[in-house]
Amino acid sequence: MLDVANTGTSPAPAGGAGGTARTSRLGGNALVFRLLRQRETGIIAVGIVLFVVFSLLSNGTFDSVQNWGGITSAAAELGIVTIGVALLMISGEFDLSVGANFSFSALVMAIMVQDHYPPGAALVVCLAIGAGIGLVNGVVTVVLDIPSFITTLGTFFLWTGVTLIVTGGETVTILPPTPTLLNVLGGVLSGQVRSELLWWLGLALAVGVVLQRTVTGNWFFAVGGKRSAAVEAGVPVARTRVLAFVACGVLAAFAGAVQLGHLGSMSASFGTTYQLEAIAASVVGGCALMGGRGSMLGAVVGTLILAMLDSGLILSGVSPYWYEAVVGVILVAAVAMHTRVGRLVRGGD
Amino acid sequence: MGVGLKPWFEARGVTKTFGGVVALDGIDLAFSPGEIVGLIGDNGSGKSTFVKIASGVYQPTRGQVFIEGKEVRFRNAADARRAGIETVHQDLGLVDSMSIVRNFFLGAELRRGPFLDLRRMRAETNKMLEEIGLGNLRDLGQDVSRLSGGERQAISIGRAVAFEKKMLVLDEPTSALSIAETEKVFEFMRRARDRGLAVVCVMHNLAQVRDVADRFVVFWHGKKVVDVANEGQGEEELASYIIKGKLSELGLSENAVGTGVLRALAQE
Repeated sequence: MLDVANTGTSPAPAGGAGGTARTSRLGGNALVFRLLRQRETGIIAVGIVLFVVFSLLSNGTFDSVQNWGGITSAAAELGIVTIGVALLMISGEFDLSVGANFSFSALVMAIMVQDHYPPGAALVVCLAIGAGIGLVNGVVTVVLDIPSFITTLGTFFLWTGVTLIVTGGETVTILPPTPTLLNVLGGVLSGQVRSELLWWLGLALAVGVVLQRTVTGNWFFAVGGKRSAAVEAGVPVARTRVLAFVACGVLAAFAGAVQLGHLGSMSASFGTTYQLEAIAASVVGGCALMGGRGSMLGAVVGTLILAMLDSGLILSGVSPYWYEAVVGVILVAAVAMHTRVGRLVRGGD
Repeated sequence: MGVGLKPWFEARGVTKTFGGVVALDGIDLAFSPGEIVGLIGDNGSGKSTFVKIASGVYQPTRGQVFIEGKEVRFRNAADARRAGIETVHQDLGLVDSMSIVRNFFLGAELRRGPFLDLRRMRAETNKMLEEIGLGNLRDLGQDVSRLSGGERQAISIGRAVAFEKKMLVLDEPTSALSIAETEKVFEFMRRARDRGLAVVCVMHNLAQVRDVADRFVVFWHGKKVVDVANEGQGEEELASYIIKGKLSELGLSENAVGTGVLRALAQE
């Protein structure tokens, strides 16, 4: 388990009646109650159902080790981006520039490696650019008091434009021999397992520990849950919000570096849909749009469900064009499920 | 009783403006250890703005704040908490989506190395909840959103009391409580006073404030208009302080309108 402790039910009206003696419609079944209180429980169940359905429809190809190697590799970069986006959503903010950040940071890294700069230095520059983009997003949002949705929509266009200007729309390819660092980032570890899967799960675990077990993690939840209460408690709200933007920026840049390691090339067109997919994966995994709720376990499961849909539809003989439509339905269904289950657990409305 | 002791907290000429609106106008006010001061006044009189300045949420536009005679400038609520001021705000300052334990220690988390010391946080919360009569809240991991209004208020007050600082500020601490729960809150306030804390509470309910306060300070339109010791004044008399505040702003005296009119207004 990554982290599930701070992911209770949907918000109730302040000061609602009831309290400790309140019983839910679920009666006294404590285990079911506790499971349902975790927002991830429902979506894990949905994931299992999808797994079974696609396995049956694809005549055994969907649940093969080879296919799961592909699913997890394809999901890893989006998964790393989603970790940052989920962290930011927990803090009550959005970042629509992660896709542009992903390609711009990794393109700079690719150009540096191509020009024979040390790959380690290129990675540091890549991450620094990601941090810088996050810092700009955070400072502009906090200092100018602009909704992050607008700030990052603006920086999405800005960095997409800069990327096209720098590369002229061309793909940058790293010619062999591939530097060791790129293999560490996105190479094959053994069989179907690529290192990017380990990066994804390792980062999810690390960020999950930060969220659940550190003071800063507590502050991310507080700032996203009720900013005024965080201010009154003495939480450094502005610093915490900016930190969440920076973390999100660094993770998006790192995901770009991982993809560069995997493919050996980078283009301005890579990652352009990641911002919406990462928000969708976060929401499917239980992140509240208004902030204050969510987990890394949910972010991982949400990403995995999107990747399963992509692969499962194709292997089941369904046109891949259905992917977006199905994601849309799953997204709305997941939010409805989180809301309904939350109300059921509260035992009120 | 702390009345007459050297003040622990002192505001001198504190003014707060929001754009063109003057919310506080040159307030001089001091709080001493071992006293309960009731801040009373109509809506918009400036009581809550003063509380927010005392607790570091707002910074004064003009004027100075002193702690033990030394000037302080609170940049935020954390500064005020570090200086020894715990506050229960009107909105209770609770994050609905967070657990009781995490709310209890928000902004003052216990650490073990780089990590939260959740075990100690749970134990301390449990102990404090037992003390304030909420020991039946066994599931400390539950979200605050699942608690009743009274339980939420008790958690918020319990949190402030638990940290035992030098001054306790409560903004409408009993607004959502039953009579029994209100009496419990008063008991906390008295205990805090007896331990030598300065206790400041904003209240609308004049009957309640006369039960618990040692001193009354009346605000009217951002000004302090009355500052008197509790000498057993009745509710009507307290209400008349507010009316007198209104009259003084209009440039009228009590004699000008007559005692009868004043009493009638107070009864209203």
